Amino acid sequence: MAASAARGAVVLRTNIGRPVAFVRKIPWTAASSELREHFAQFGHVRKCTVPFDKETGFHKGMGWIHFSSEEELHNALQQENHIIDGVKLHVQPQKPKALQGDQTSDEEKDF
Amino acid sequence: MAALLRPARWLLRAAAAPYLPLSLRLLAGGPGRPDAAVCLRAARARPVAGGLLSQARLHSIAAEKKNYLQEEPTSSHRRNASQFDWALMRLDNSVRRTGRIPKTLLQKVFDNTCHSGSPGGNQALLLLRSCGSLLPELKLSERTEFAHKIWDELQKLGTVYDVSHYNALLKVYLQNDHKFSPTDFLARMEKGNIQPNRVTYQRLIAAYCNMGDIEGASTILGFMKTKDLPVTEAVFSALVTGHARSGDMENAENILTVMKEAGIEPGPDTYLALLNAYAEKGDIDHVKQTLEKVEKSDLYLMDRDLLQIILSFSKAGYPQYVPEILEKITYERRYIPDTMNLILLLVTEKLEDTALQILLACPISRESSQNDFGSFFLRHCVTMNTPAEKLKDYCKKLKEAQLHTSPLQFTLQCALVAQKLDLAKVLMKALKEEGFPIRTHYFWPLLVGHQKEKNVQGIVEVLKGMHEIGVTPDQETYVNYVFPCFDSIKSVRAVLQENGCPHDDNVFSQAELRSKAVNGNLDYILSFLESNTLPFSFSSLRGSLILDCVCSNLLLLLQCTHFLSYQITELLYKDGRYCQEPPGPTEAVGYFLYNLIDSMSDSEVQAKEERLRQYFHQLKEMNVKIPENIYRGIRNLLDSYHVPELIKDVNILVEREKTDSRKPSSSDLESKLEKLKAENQPIGDILKQLIVMLCSEENMQKALELKAKYESDMVVGGYAALINLCCRHDNAEDALNLKREFDRLDSSAVLDTGKYVRLVKVLGKHGKLQDAINILKEMKEKDVPVKDATVLSFFHILNGAALRGETETVKQLHEAIVTLGLAKPSTALSSPLVTLYLEKDDLPAALESTIDCYEKYKILPRIHDVLCKLIEKGETELIQKAMDFVSQEQGEMTMLYDLFFAFLQTGNYKEAKKIIETPGIRARPTRLQWFCDRCIANNQVETLEKLVELTQKLFECDRDQLYYSLLKLYKVNDDWQKADAVWNKMQEENIIPREKTLRLLAEILRNNNQEVPFDVPELWYEEEKDCPTSLPSPVEVNLQQGLLNACHRRRNKAVSRSIFCSNIFNIRTVVFIISPWCSTIYYRIRSIAETHIKGFTLNDAANSLLIITQVRRDYLKDALTTLKTALDLDQIPSRLAVTRLIQACALKGDTESIHDIQKLVNGLEDSIGLSRMVFINNIALAQIKNNNIDVAIESIENMLTSENQTVDPQYFGLAYLFRKVIEGQLEPALKKISIMAERLANQFAVYKPVTDLFLQLVDSGKVNDARALLQRCGAIAEQMPILLVFCIRNCQRPGKAPVMKSLLELIPELIDKEEAYTCLMKSYVFDNDVTSAKALYESLTAKNVKLNDLFLKRYAVLLKNAGESVPFTEPPESFEFYAKQLKESKETHL
Repeated sequence: MAASAARGAVVLRTNIGRPVAFVRKIPWTAASSELREHFAQFGHVRKCTVPFDKETGFHKGMGWIHFSSEEELHNALQQENHIIDGVKLHVQPQKPKALQGDQTSDEEKDF
Repeated sequence: MAALLRPARWLLRAAAAPYLPLSLRLLAGGPGRPDAAVCLRAARARPVAGGLLSQARLHSIAAEKKNYLQEEPTSSHRRNASQFDWALMRLDNSVRRTGRIPKTLLQKVFDNTCHSGSPGGNQALLLLRSCGSLLPELKLSERTEFAHKIWDELQKLGTVYDVSHYNALLKVYLQNDHKFSPTDFLARMEKGNIQPNRVTYQRLIAAYCNMGDIEGASTILGFMKTKDLPVTEAVFSALVTGHARSGDMENAENILTVMKEAGIEPGPDTYLALLNAYAEKGDIDHVKQTLEKVEKSDLYLMDRDLLQIILSFSKAGYPQYVPEILEKITYERRYIPDTMNLILLLVTEKLEDTALQILLACPISRESSQNDFGSFFLRHCVTMNTPAEKLKDYCKKLKEAQLHTSPLQFTLQCALVAQKLDLAKVLMKALKEEGFPIRTHYFWPLLVGHQKEKNVQGIVEVLKGMHEIGVTPDQETYVNYVFPCFDSIKSVRAVLQENGCPHDDNVFSQAELRSKAVNGNLDYILSFLESNTLPFSFSSLRGSLILDCVCSNLLLLLQCTHFLSYQITELLYKDGRYCQEPPGPTEAVGYFLYNLIDSMSDSEVQAKEERLRQYFHQLKEMNVKIPENIYRGIRNLLDSYHVPELIKDVNILVEREKTDSRKPSSSDLESKLEKLKAENQPIGDILKQLIVMLCSEENMQKALELKAKYESDMVVGGYAALINLCCRHDNAEDALNLKREFDRLDSSAVLDTGKYVRLVKVLGKHGKLQDAINILKEMKEKDVPVKDATVLSFFHILNGAALRGETETVKQLHEAIVTLGLAKPSTALSSPLVTLYLEKDDLPAALESTIDCYEKYKILPRIHDVLCKLIEKGETELIQKAMDFVSQEQGEMTMLYDLFFAFLQTGNYKEAKKIIETPGIRARPTRLQWFCDRCIANNQVETLEKLVELTQKLFECDRDQLYYSLLKLYKVNDDWQKADAVWNKMQEENIIPREKTLRLLAEILRNNNQEVPFDVPELWYEEEKDCPTSLPSPVEVNLQQGLLNACHRRRNKAVSRSIFCSNIFNIRTVVFIISPWCSTIYYRIRSIAETHIKGFTLNDAANSLLIITQVRRDYLKDALTTLKTALDLDQIPSRLAVTRLIQACALKGDTESIHDIQKLVNGLEDSIGLSRMVFINNIALAQIKNNNIDVAIESIENMLTSENQTVDPQYFGLAYLFRKVIEGQLEPALKKISIMAERLANQFAVYKPVTDLFLQLVDSGKVNDARALLQRCGAIAEQMPILLVFCIRNCQRPGKAPVMKSLLELIPELIDKEEAYTCLMKSYVFDNDVTSAKALYESLTAKNVKLNDLFLKRYAVLLKNAGESVPFTEPPESFEFYAKQLKESKETHL
């Protein structure tokens, strides 16, 4: 029991946030390649998804840009206006998928 | 709004009078009233005779909606009911927002109404009323058609019409210019035995007048006179129209004189009738004269009226006069929807040029490029098939006028949605000319439509269109939109060639490959990879979408078999072609695995944990290896998915196995260290380890000593741990020194965020301000990540200082944090700046500080608290200042709410009342909810009660939501009397409670053993659906609720240690809440709690959850320990937890543990709610699993046949054991058990086991075995109580219809039992098994069984949903009505 508790504590220590930007209000005229093109100015875009609705043939105006580093994501977020086809996008960091605890009892951790 | 708010401002001015007590001063609002009256008159609302929409009508519809709900609070089917509520809400919203209803929405509501069974009268009224001018997008004739359709359908469904419905229909006719015969209409009413009333006659007169039939109108007028009905302005207005349309303008004018003689002063309606009459004649001069006349009188024509005149001009063919009227329009904001409706109406009437003219005249602010105006116009033009060239021109004009930034793109979108290929092509060409790129996906919406209908020709047309525009289809186009339309990809190729559609062969074959992959055709992929001649390096494959497909396919396969996926992995690993690059195969497979996991969602990984584990182990057997760096990536992924359990399984694949040395104890380390030192060997590593260990043991003294002793050998890691330790022990001095030494050692080294924050906290607390700020600066310089939790820590640091009254600390640290940009100056973060002064009771400074925050950061921290204090102290001047500031910066409405809440909070209810009654104020749901939540959190019953009371008449106030909050608070206080009073008040106020409110109310009452005075929505049925297995214990229900809350909370708040440590209760709550969904987090929090809080223990519920989690994760030993711990603490674990544990042990064949548990809980069985059978069943099962079948059987037989029986044979249920034996296909055991059961039946007349066995056989589909058993032991068929219980249990779950059917087949006598056939029908309805239901119904009617209404209702709904006719009259009432009826009748029979 104690062992498993310790294990739980150890494995959770490295909690990484993945550098993903969540983009909303994408105009219907733009798709993933346009987004990729736009965001390439901030760094290497590892993956870019704009899911299309197979029922309508349109996308739902949302997409995800996976950068390869936090820094690149940061660069993208720093820019105030992201405009594609004359439409301003809403760009925000992707919310962590699950509850993210404070980095606390990290005695053994190498900063 | 500002005008409407004026009295409130006056109220505040009055408050400035210094000598009156505050309450009196605020009451002196009298002189403000006349102002309000003027405002209200300006906003007069009156019905307009046909045509455009009126505000009054909207509200009457909204009111109608409420009426409808009042009469039928619950609809027959809950799902339908909520869906209907939703639709009605949408309808209401649509009218409120846009002034109109889209046809699709009305159609949806109508369909819903029809499905809901028998629609009520008000519901019909609502639908009928919506068919007039609220539908500007429909042609007039279509609207009337729609009304007729509704009328007929609803009549068929049994809606009874009264005079209000006929009047509504008349109104629709008038609004739609529908030609009909008034006499026929009257005859129809007479036939329906409906007496016409004044409104009917008035509308019939209007109908005659619209046709220019004065004679007809006079006849009706005569009728009215004989009946002594008053003649109103509406009648005269109609006569004006009548005379005008009969060509007699002179008499039309004369009507006004007649009116005056009759003592009725002509109002705006009459003048409008006259103006329309002139407009229809194209007589602009008279129109202008009349308008002047109106202006001179004290009458006032609204924009809406002027728009009406424009419509008359346009429809009569005089668009040239439109601009002159347009000039007179004031364009008040509230008439914008009316203007939009007119534009739409004109487009519908094919007068789109005039429509554009009006549109261009709209004074929409043109600077803000964000809001495009005119989209509604373009969309409607597309719907009405306005010629493409015209549309192109409109787009140009809209753009020139700067009304719309991208009209062509928008129109194209509309054309695509409407699947208008030709229009789309024209627009795309136009866009191309503008230099706008045309992209492949523009064609997808067009393809979608054809794909759904499998219209090959249509697809070909679109593909040709693409070629025409110069766009080549890409892979996705083929895979997603073209291929699905065809039977095979071969035929696509053929058809495309046949029709001369050019295509890129390379793209096409890649698309083919992808399509195969998507469809799970991995054989194809394999052969492709093997036979592939193209230079396809793995890296290109890696990034390509193909790999994504492979990954997703692997996932598919993981669900059933792993075979092929191994092959692919193996191929990737062994085939040189895919790993030509230097890193070699290891990397390829590693990336592959990384991508595989990356492409899964966290829930997927969690769900497939075991599968993935097996997969990894298989890979291990294949001797597949992955490099360590990729392993780390995978580890991080798994970590972020919260499945760290899998990490060890991936770890086995790592190329260079790094063995983890077991951790020695601190004393071991110390002696080792000394030894090394003595041997003069490097000790850095071991020193660090030791220090870290001492830190984890919280041994600061020793750690510091050690550091002093071996200072020269210290490494950064050791310092980091030490700094943290000192911070924890509030040792600022040493922490700071250590930090300096740390910097000296390596100035570029970075600590983690938590350590920096703790340093700031400790330094700030000990007055080392500059040092604290330096740390903050360092955080910025070294770019330390700042998370939500960090910001929360900042807040706690500042707040702590504020509570201690350390002004400088708060100000400087806040300033530093904000200016450095470490955190945004949010309301929360800045509130300590105000707290500082509030704590010192320095109100002017507090207010100043708040205002200062607004000026700096546009936030108003703690304004509510400041206001409350000001009111308490009667600081009128400061209140005035605060209010002036708020209303200037955030608007009067915000100011009023701030003041309202402050008065409420301070108990100045009279003043609060004055504020909330300000004319023009409307409900702000979020603010109201904020205050409600605050009251609930602080348990302020009276305040919340007052809030609910005072907002009774607040415009657009969601009363149910407020009452719900009130009930929540009553629930906290467990005050059922007050809850009951709420129930009555809601009826008084005619509020329709939502289901959640009713449930909450019922819960409060039930918890207090009170009778629930209403039917909790579909209780009988709902519970069955919600809880397919046994009913959960109350603890469990609470847990579920906690869980739900946790899930909500989880999104909002990061769990932070600072929260935990502040309050032990909180930790328990949090642990208890989160443990079920994430055991690892749970472990982590618990370890934090255990290290930091003395005597930390979990409560019953948390321990129970822990047991369940451990069982699920298969840590049975741990679970058993937890159970022991809980019992040692005199806790009562939940039944579910204990049962799960016992069952898990049994499945492992662990008889011993079950016996242990039995001993542990001995004497507590009743409090836990454990049945003795749990042990009997599971011990037997465990013995069977251990192949001790005979022992198991013997002990059961002994129990049932011995003299002193512990359990009554009647209740000796072995169903669980039987089921597990059958499920586990333990044939020898089954055979022996069967023999035992039969022996018990035949020799000892104990029939329960054999019947249970029989039922379990039926349940698991072994009908033949069951039949054989029945033949051997006929007595089974006589065990009616047992059989019926089985029926009742089974019909509560879906998917049991086949079981029930086989049971009935085996024991046909069952059908004679009411319980049984009711259950059967329920089961069939559940599974939508119409055929079986029909057969059942027929056999019952053949037997002349009298069926109850509930049964019939159920059957009828099943038939209706299946689109079949119902062979009897469907019982009209709702389900719960009959359920209740049946319940009552049974009770009286008893």
